[in-house]
Amino acid sequence: MMLDAFLAGAHQVFAFDTLIYMLIGSIAGIIAAAIPGFTVTMAIILTLPLTFSMGPLQGVSVMLSVYVGGYTGGLISAALLGIPGTPSSVATTFDAYPMARGGEPGRALSLGVWSSFFGTVISTIVLILAAPPLAMIAVKLGPWEYFSLIVFALTIVASLVGNSLMRGLIAGVIGLGLATIGPDPMMGQPRLTFESSILLPGLPFLVVLIGIFAISQLMGEVEDHGKGNSSDALIPDVIEFKTWSVMREVLMHPVNLVRSSLVGVFIGALPGAGGSIANLLAYDQAKRSSKNPEEFGKGTPDGVIASEAGNSATAGGGLIPMIALGIPGSAVDAILMAALMVHGISVGPRLIMDNADLAYGMFVAMVVSSLMMLVVCVLSMRLFLRVTDIPKQFIVPTVMICCVIGAFALNNRVTDLYLLGAIGLVGYGLKSLDYPLAPLVLGVILGPIAETNLRRALMSDGDWTVFFTRPISAVLLAAALLSVIFSVRSVLKMRKKDRPATDEQDGD
Amino acid sequence: MFRKIAVAAGLLAAAIAGPAQAQDYPEKPIEFIVPWGPGGGSDTLMRIVAMGLTEVTGQPVPIVNMPGVGGTVGLAEFAKRPADGYTISQIHEGLYTANKLGITELSYKNFIPVALVTSSPQYLVLSKNDNFSNLEELKAYAEANPGAVRAGVTLGGVPHLHMAMIEEALGVEFSYVGFRDTGERIRAAVGGNVDIVIGDVASASEFVKNGDLIFAGVGTEERTAEEPDVPTMAEQGYDLSMAVTRGVVLPAGTPDEIVEALDTALEKAMSLPDIREKMTNAGSAEIYLGHEAYKAYLDKLDSEVDKVVGKLQG
Repeated sequence: MMLDAFLAGAHQVFAFDTLIYMLIGSIAGIIAAAIPGFTVTMAIILTLPLTFSMGPLQGVSVMLSVYVGGYTGGLISAALLGIPGTPSSVATTFDAYPMARGGEPGRALSLGVWSSFFGTVISTIVLILAAPPLAMIAVKLGPWEYFSLIVFALTIVASLVGNSLMRGLIAGVIGLGLATIGPDPMMGQPRLTFESSILLPGLPFLVVLIGIFAISQLMGEVEDHGKGNSSDALIPDVIEFKTWSVMREVLMHPVNLVRSSLVGVFIGALPGAGGSIANLLAYDQAKRSSKNPEEFGKGTPDGVIASEAGNSATAGGGLIPMIALGIPGSAVDAILMAALMVHGISVGPRLIMDNADLAYGMFVAMVVSSLMMLVVCVLSMRLFLRVTDIPKQFIVPTVMICCVIGAFALNNRVTDLYLLGAIGLVGYGLKSLDYPLAPLVLGVILGPIAETNLRRALMSDGDWTVFFTRPISAVLLAAALLSVIFSVRSVLKMRKKDRPATDEQDGD
Repeated sequence: MFRKIAVAAGLLAAAIAGPAQAQDYPEKPIEFIVPWGPGGGSDTLMRIVAMGLTEVTGQPVPIVNMPGVGGTVGLAEFAKRPADGYTISQIHEGLYTANKLGITELSYKNFIPVALVTSSPQYLVLSKNDNFSNLEELKAYAEANPGAVRAGVTLGGVPHLHMAMIEEALGVEFSYVGFRDTGERIRAAVGGNVDIVIGDVASASEFVKNGDLIFAGVGTEERTAEEPDVPTMAEQGYDLSMAVTRGVVLPAGTPDEIVEALDTALEKAMSLPDIREKMTNAGSAEIYLGHEAYKAYLDKLDSEVDKVVGKLQG
């Protein structure tokens, strides 16, 4: 029965036209994600109407290839430009960019590509083996557990602060503050908008991300221009890929690889969390358990592996509640479900029973997509690296234009562009003052989720002790407390060690 | 020269094709502003409508998602567009609640209703629990335990409106918990984190089949074709009408010929077999109200919403 369904699904995926469409989808996903400001979600929305005229499994397979390609593409601009191509590659910039700047752009890309590949494969394995029980756990979690999880996630700020804990915390608080602007997440009542039509819809997360990372990074490039260190191009042109030796290198970090992938799977399986948190959490876990945490942020392979395996694994993770229960784990999964629904397939707890060939076909499509992504990336890496040959005066304006278009395309709102400009200036100012930017972005992501769930919890039950009496919630809060204690201790230790030599290295 | 011949031929063809063919509308692509994000109910249904419109008119109908503040950001932008028929948009009951709660000054009166194209019947959905398994038991339990029943709604949105109507009709008191969309609410009900929610066939029926959720009543006049075993609210003694109805609108000031032409095109589009099938799959009942009928429907809805809107401000 299971084998039949598997073969039936595989048979459909391995049809020639499906494979061709998937290849195109994979390339499209990688390109869309590589351009800062363009997201995977946008690429998938563009694919949606095309899939109306395909068969259900064919349509979903093409969308999955875009999805998997997209989770990898983000690393290209993260490594080569220091700008996350998608929200899920923020942590990739921390180590891949210093590594590329340090003369190993080929290695940084290869590391990311292989980690993404293994991350996707591991998540698909978990998806196949454990989808139903994991989905059941995910759906039982109430607002109390979500709130406690976010409290825990907020404590990872300490891993992202760079040189100064104080400046990191301030950046995190600024992020939380920015997230409160606009309609409140429960009632839609305007807050801190000052009757301005620009602020009324709130600050979209993607606009903040592009403004904070891309605009400030690009302005920094312009400022550095002519200082002579890297002549015209962003990165000295030492092109070495060492594809296979890098694969071995990734496999030499099995603990990190598997741990980061599992973090990605679990975060992906929680509806509403997703890739933008998973890469940071995986990075944080890798840094904490590393014997050499001080190497993080300076181009350590561990950092790249954690971030890329973590974000790619959310693709399989997000499918867990969708395939097992018909509950989308992310915006992308919601669009996948819509595509199936239009074909008359009811996505729900009975999908695996009623449409087994479809469910197993999706597993096959995940694996095929990740192989395609790998082949496309390895073959075209030389092409990506040509980006580094392009003189700055061409690449900076081009990327800037892409950012502006991407920010506009998100909600088709002109006012978002004014916000983008303003936030870019703020980001540039903070960066110049040596404030780390990642905690700010983390605050913007987590703030609204925390608020929504806190209010939802208290609306469900006015008793606040429930946070401590529900076991999973209590465990998460305890983990948050431990995390804070651990961070404070390691900061104190580092301070003692670092006293003699002040380190000028940039935090991100 | 060739262009002139082409134009002449085109005019001739139009003349032969029939009189009063509301000029050449549409002769270029029509932009469709969907004031909600991608992947939701409005987005999915309107993409199907756009597909049908393209089939009928031969013009592309690109969807532009402009989400924000309960659908009002996109509509505010839409209201500013030229009234030439080349930008269309969509409204549903959410505009009424947003307007009456003071979130937007726009109301349905700011637009010209062209046609009602979808109607998704709304169901009262119970989470599987030990205390009640149908409407009667829910009423008894809620009467005995005021405020104990947790109702999942989108605060200030259409489900809130429907839930308030039920609360009023049953004469009981629920406590409300806010969620962003139907998917989130259904998930909370499946997980047992709320007790009752408003849902539709598309999002809830699979869970009902699986035994996680129970349909306690539907807000239509007659039982629906998809769920013939679910009693209507009216059958159970509560004359409530609960549906999310979506219609296509044009900016105020659009010439009558264009409104008519679009109405005709939409009616054709919505009767195409593949479009009808896709709409049904996406959870909409078969319905079509043209310009006049839709206008009358919206006016009637306005007075109905007025009756319960006070309950939303609590």
